[in-house]
Amino acid sequence: MISALFIYSLRGELLISKDVKSTVQKSMAEIFRIQVINNLDVRSPVLTLGSTTFHYIKSPGNLWIVSVSRSNADSAAIWEFLYKLSSLLQAYGLDSEKNMKEEFMTCFELLDVLLENGVPMESEFSNVASLMSVKPSIAVDAFNSFTEGIANGTDRFIPRSRLLKRKSSTFISQDTLKDQQSKIPWRNNGIKYKKNEVFLNVNESINILVSKDGSILKSYVDGTVEATTHLSGMPVCRFGLNDALSITSPFYEGSPETVNKKAIPKAAAGSVMLEDCKFHQCVQLEKFQTDRTINFVPPDGTFELMKYHVRENLNLPFKVTPIVTVSRSGSIEYRITIKSLFPGKLSAKDVQMRIPVPPETVDCSFSTSNGKCKFVAAESAIIWQFSRYQGLTENSISATALPAKGYLLNFDKWSRPSISLKFEVTMFSNSGLVVRFFDILQKDKNYNLIKWIRYISRSGAYEVRY
Amino acid sequence: MSDQRIFSRYKASEIRAELHQGNLKKHRASAAKRKNALKKIVANLTMGFRSEMALLFPDVLKFWQIDDNLEVKRICHHYLVAMASTKAEHFQNALPLVLSDFNAGSEQLQILALRTLAAVPVEVYVEECRKLVLTIINKSSESEKLKKAALYAALKLIQYENTQAASLLGVLHKVLRNYKEKPTIRANALYVLHEVQETTNALQMLSLDFDTCMDMLELLPKLNEWDSARVLDSLTVSYVPQTHSDAHFFIEKTVPQLQHTNTSVILNAFKFVIYLTNYVEFLTESLVKQLSGSMVSLLNKPPELEFLVLRNIILLLLGRDKPLLKVDISYFFVEFNDPIYIKDTKLEILYLLAKEDNLLQILQEFKEYATDIDIQMSRKAIRAVGNLTVKLEQSADECVNLLLELLDFEAEYIVQEIVSVFKNVLRRYPEKHKLCLKKLVRFTDWVQEPESRGSMIWIITQYHHHLPNYLELFRSFSDNFLDEVLEVQFSILGSAVRLFTRNPTPTTEKLCVEILKSATEKVDNPDLRDRAFVYWRLLSAAQQSQNSSLGMDTVREIIDGALPPIAMNTQLDPQIVEELELNIGTIASIYLKPVNQVFRLNKPKCLTASPALNANRDSFEVVFKGSQSTSSSLTGDSSQFNNRRQSSSPVKKMDDYDIPAETVNTLKDKRKNSSPNMHLSRKPSMLARKLSLRKPFA
Repeated sequence: MISALFIYSLRGELLISKDVKSTVQKSMAEIFRIQVINNLDVRSPVLTLGSTTFHYIKSPGNLWIVSVSRSNADSAAIWEFLYKLSSLLQAYGLDSEKNMKEEFMTCFELLDVLLENGVPMESEFSNVASLMSVKPSIAVDAFNSFTEGIANGTDRFIPRSRLLKRKSSTFISQDTLKDQQSKIPWRNNGIKYKKNEVFLNVNESINILVSKDGSILKSYVDGTVEATTHLSGMPVCRFGLNDALSITSPFYEGSPETVNKKAIPKAAAGSVMLEDCKFHQCVQLEKFQTDRTINFVPPDGTFELMKYHVRENLNLPFKVTPIVTVSRSGSIEYRITIKSLFPGKLSAKDVQMRIPVPPETVDCSFSTSNGKCKFVAAESAIIWQFSRYQGLTENSISATALPAKGYLLNFDKWSRPSISLKFEVTMFSNSGLVVRFFDILQKDKNYNLIKWIRYISRSGAYEVRY
Repeated sequence: MSDQRIFSRYKASEIRAELHQGNLKKHRASAAKRKNALKKIVANLTMGFRSEMALLFPDVLKFWQIDDNLEVKRICHHYLVAMASTKAEHFQNALPLVLSDFNAGSEQLQILALRTLAAVPVEVYVEECRKLVLTIINKSSESEKLKKAALYAALKLIQYENTQAASLLGVLHKVLRNYKEKPTIRANALYVLHEVQETTNALQMLSLDFDTCMDMLELLPKLNEWDSARVLDSLTVSYVPQTHSDAHFFIEKTVPQLQHTNTSVILNAFKFVIYLTNYVEFLTESLVKQLSGSMVSLLNKPPELEFLVLRNIILLLLGRDKPLLKVDISYFFVEFNDPIYIKDTKLEILYLLAKEDNLLQILQEFKEYATDIDIQMSRKAIRAVGNLTVKLEQSADECVNLLLELLDFEAEYIVQEIVSVFKNVLRRYPEKHKLCLKKLVRFTDWVQEPESRGSMIWIITQYHHHLPNYLELFRSFSDNFLDEVLEVQFSILGSAVRLFTRNPTPTTEKLCVEILKSATEKVDNPDLRDRAFVYWRLLSAAQQSQNSSLGMDTVREIIDGALPPIAMNTQLDPQIVEELELNIGTIASIYLKPVNQVFRLNKPKCLTASPALNANRDSFEVVFKGSQSTSSSLTGDSSQFNNRRQSSSPVKKMDDYDIPAETVNTLKDKRKNSSPNMHLSRKPSMLARKLSLRKPFA
């Protein structure tokens, strides 16, 4: 599948070169550098020359991670693998040119664990960590919230002080590992916790595109349920949502007291039509297919339990109404109202509206009803920010974009990028999705389980045309 | 201590000196120093100084024996593999070391040693490796990882030489059928057999029967994501269903895998299902819905994977008359921060999905893109509108209007593209000229690029009887005939002749002769010159012999005959589609080209004949199936449910969501100016105060 793996620094210095098949020549590394890294106008994430294909991604630490394959390989597997590798490199503190030059042997060891003859074998972080002789620089727990941070381009990573439970294997004590191997590939036997805890994070991002006349061209929510489990033994967990299809199922009676329903009054009333959901490898997919129940034996630590996609009956958190006109003096007048549609008890944080102005604009004047506002000439945009935005509140801005003296702003010739909005609302669910229950099947009496849940709704692409 | 950097170029002698610096006893400080020196070797190998590092072979072998640190061992094995192509005589000496590592008892070292043996194509190594592989695989007590390493070592051995493959293949088959073996080992054995079949001649055809296929699918819940993906990949084509019901059964069995998070699992499951649909007589609507849903939900993956999925959606849309996907177009609207390759692909999909009923929405989107900052994007959008005009006869007017509207932007590149596109539009709908001719010729002076110039010349010639000043317009091109690029010269020549044959007046004759003269006398290109001669001979032959068979009408027919109608062909060759559908998710699916055109080493895949195979791929129906089985009834219900829940108006408005605000903050009166430095004319004291303020967003 993968014939060779290269890692380059940002400027194109080759840091790691792992040949899997001897058919790959040294010149390949040079070819990639010339064709992609030194090429400014690259319009594809994959390059095929002759019958050699380069799949590449750029890591958050500005390394190029490149896979070379010589046959018609499975691109999906390769890119998935490269992303996994990128997040593991970060976990081992290797995601920078400087560290990679020092500790490249750790990277080789990592590749030895992950790949067998160029075929990905293992990527679950807790398993990889138990096979490596080097300790990762972050705890197993923090890993997923960390990878998700990469995907969202934010640094939301909160390190936890809890260290790895099992001591990493050393060179001699390998044989103890054999006893630990269990029937389930993602969980080892003999895990013990004093306190059994489950943390569930429901993260949603809402994408919406509104046209000039206020009609919604597209709207959907992408959500993930991220779980952190600290559970002893081999628990079989059951998990339920207010999924419109499972609500009639017998498991609905489950244990609804698990969830504090008051947190989301509106959503709890109805049910959600899940367009499609994807599950972590631990979930028994066939069981879900037949009776829509989600049963699984979780891996230890943090993992992404499911992903879902909702299009119907969304709860829009904000309404934006722009009025943009050209004045006779050649300047452009904006009058924009923003109104929060979520309950008054809740509040959004880091609300930021980006109002594009024509590139010829040299100055802007504005007045706002609240929040902070500035004109960023480099981005040709007015940025209007609120650190906290209460529910059911309306604010407005009136702004004027002024051209340099003697010029007119040409409204018709300007491509008019959309007004975009960024925000984060906690304990609010855009899709109306609610976790109904989470419990453990066949547990004995003194298996106490503490459950925590948090909902976060973020903006994906929230764009309004005018 | 080592104050030198590891990652820089060293001479072999420098490293050797460093290696021998410490005494050879197992002293900790000198061991660390040695390790450092060995790391320098690896770094230098990465940087490509292989021949220099080859000189250190004896030294590496020496320290291999002394140190039993895993990292040192790893470096030594890495070195040996990197040297594999140099064919040094030292390999013989290294062999006992590798074997002693294998017998050292540690699992990690065993795996390392086995991989090294398989990676060095020296005969003794291959022999040893073969022996070890056979013993490891046959022993039931070996660890999982070691067995996997042995399986893939077997694959390498078969790839080196397939004369002695039979014994290895026998062992692999045995593992595959051994019910007591661990699931992951069996899954990988299947994949290795599949790879052997794909890449070597040792195994002509891997074919699995119903029971094995069933057995493998039963394993899926016990496998990790990568193994699952490979099992589904290997089953495609290897298992041939013999009856329709077998195929239905496996489709149902595979569908749950579409809910995995790993893209590779989903696409391979998708591939297997699509493959099986060739062996069924109908499909349930719920399946189509589920397939579409799983594809769409992959669109929020990282951009590279999104790109792959989009390319596969194109394949699935192009492939059949009745596509297997039903997707809402709004998923393919371009987002502001999409990478360029995603934008391009989305544009292509929108074009493919355009029909009469969704055209207005799509045209509105294309209009947005046409005014995009990215010039290439804008051009592609215009090109797409032009192609849509030709494709959809009933809505051609809307498209033409949009193109004319875009002309008003008067941006240089937009004009070029629109003029180029109009040539095809007018060829398809000659009667549409009334709408656009006047407006187009206003831009005669704007056209710069060969294609748009050629197009403009063609339009002027074709509609000269509607243009009173056509000669003047044509002159603007023909006057600098000699300075034009070849492509445009051809159009000018052709058009001059056509103008004359259509309307033989003294002015057109003069113009025609002028062009013919310069084309035959002053032009160096033989093609252009020859064509000019041919025209000239034709015309003079027609004029001289008034009563012969070659009259002016015949000449007109030759030069200016009816053009064949144009149509947009968006379909791919069904043979290619058939092959590509068996390669969903692979590199070939990105390029949408047949596999052996890109990869000479791969064997082409094709559908195997069986009593259940459909002769015509488009013939099967999509039926709405009632509650026969549990799974389809659930999803079947969902579509009804969906209808009920949908709001009455198809397009939702922002206002539908509106609720009254509790707090309304009104605008403050005072206006602020954004950039204080714009007004340096202020009093210095004011300025000082402004600067001392804290920056609001610092």
